[in-house]
Amino acid sequence: MKDFGSFFEIACQQRVIFYYVGYFSQNVVAAMADAVRLQLEMSGVSGATRRKLFSSFVEMAQNIIHYSADSLTPSNQDNHELRHGSVCISEKEGQYLLQCANPIDAEVAEGLRERLQSLRSMTLDEIKRAYKDSLRAESPEGSKGAGLGFLTVARDSSEPLEFDFQPLEGHSGKVVFNLKATI
Amino acid sequence: MENLYIAATPSSPEVNFDFAQHQLSIRGESYPENAAAFYGDIIKRLREYLASCNNICINVDIGLAYFNSSSTKMLFNIFEAFKTAVDAGNEVVLNWHHYEEDDTIFEFGQELHVDFPEITFVDRPVKAA
Repeated sequence: MKDFGSFFEIACQQRVIFYYVGYFSQNVVAAMADAVRLQLEMSGVSGATRRKLFSSFVEMAQNIIHYSADSLTPSNQDNHELRHGSVCISEKEGQYLLQCANPIDAEVAEGLRERLQSLRSMTLDEIKRAYKDSLRAESPEGSKGAGLGFLTVARDSSEPLEFDFQPLEGHSGKVVFNLKATI
Repeated sequence: MENLYIAATPSSPEVNFDFAQHQLSIRGESYPENAAAFYGDIIKRLREYLASCNNICINVDIGLAYFNSSSTKMLFNIFEAFKTAVDAGNEVVLNWHHYEEDDTIFEFGQELHVDFPEITFVDRPVKAA
């Protein structure tokens, strides 16, 4: 009881609007999308911000379905997947923070770091141009979407995306990938 | 050619391709888990239909409240198919429905308009409920 009480208290202090940890499936994401929409409508966020938050939320949640290294479904399955991770939406000084975390194989971290570093160094105009170019290009290898997910989130963020990789205790070949967008 | 109808789900749109009447519509939400899998067959059927068209005016309604990044890519493929149909001598009228204040979807429509001048593009803003 007490533990949950302090968990709840921290959530209130951090102005958490939505938090989930567990397995992600498309049905879970659709249900969360409903909850997030309702929650954002009720909290008086403007229409434009709401749409950006919703869009980035879906991109992050679907990244977990596609790429989390903690998977209940076989790695070669590309539909009806079930994978583990966490998402959180919170408010801080009039801005909205969108964060997600999931384990990944340590060897893919370097590639992710390069992509995200290069995104961080781009201006909004450059991000928009890269988005347009990617839309017209063939999908990159290993991508289950269109290689547009991070660009979509970056385009809707008011600050550069933040990320880090943390060691995962007891799993030497894995790290936890954290991504944060400010909207 | 048999018409194509797919009912909407919470995360995928209603697809209603009435090939006999040359009326095609896609409406609703679009963030399926695997957009390539969802749209793959739809685009295949669309291309077969378009290839059979000769000097036809095709009316298209697209009204999506939200589409995720991988759906965006698929929409782009759909517009390329329409462009090919126009190049082959047909006319495609695309009604682009979106909420009036939804800048992202409005702007995407404007980009499509610039990218595919062959398609007769009609912006159709609607007031939010």
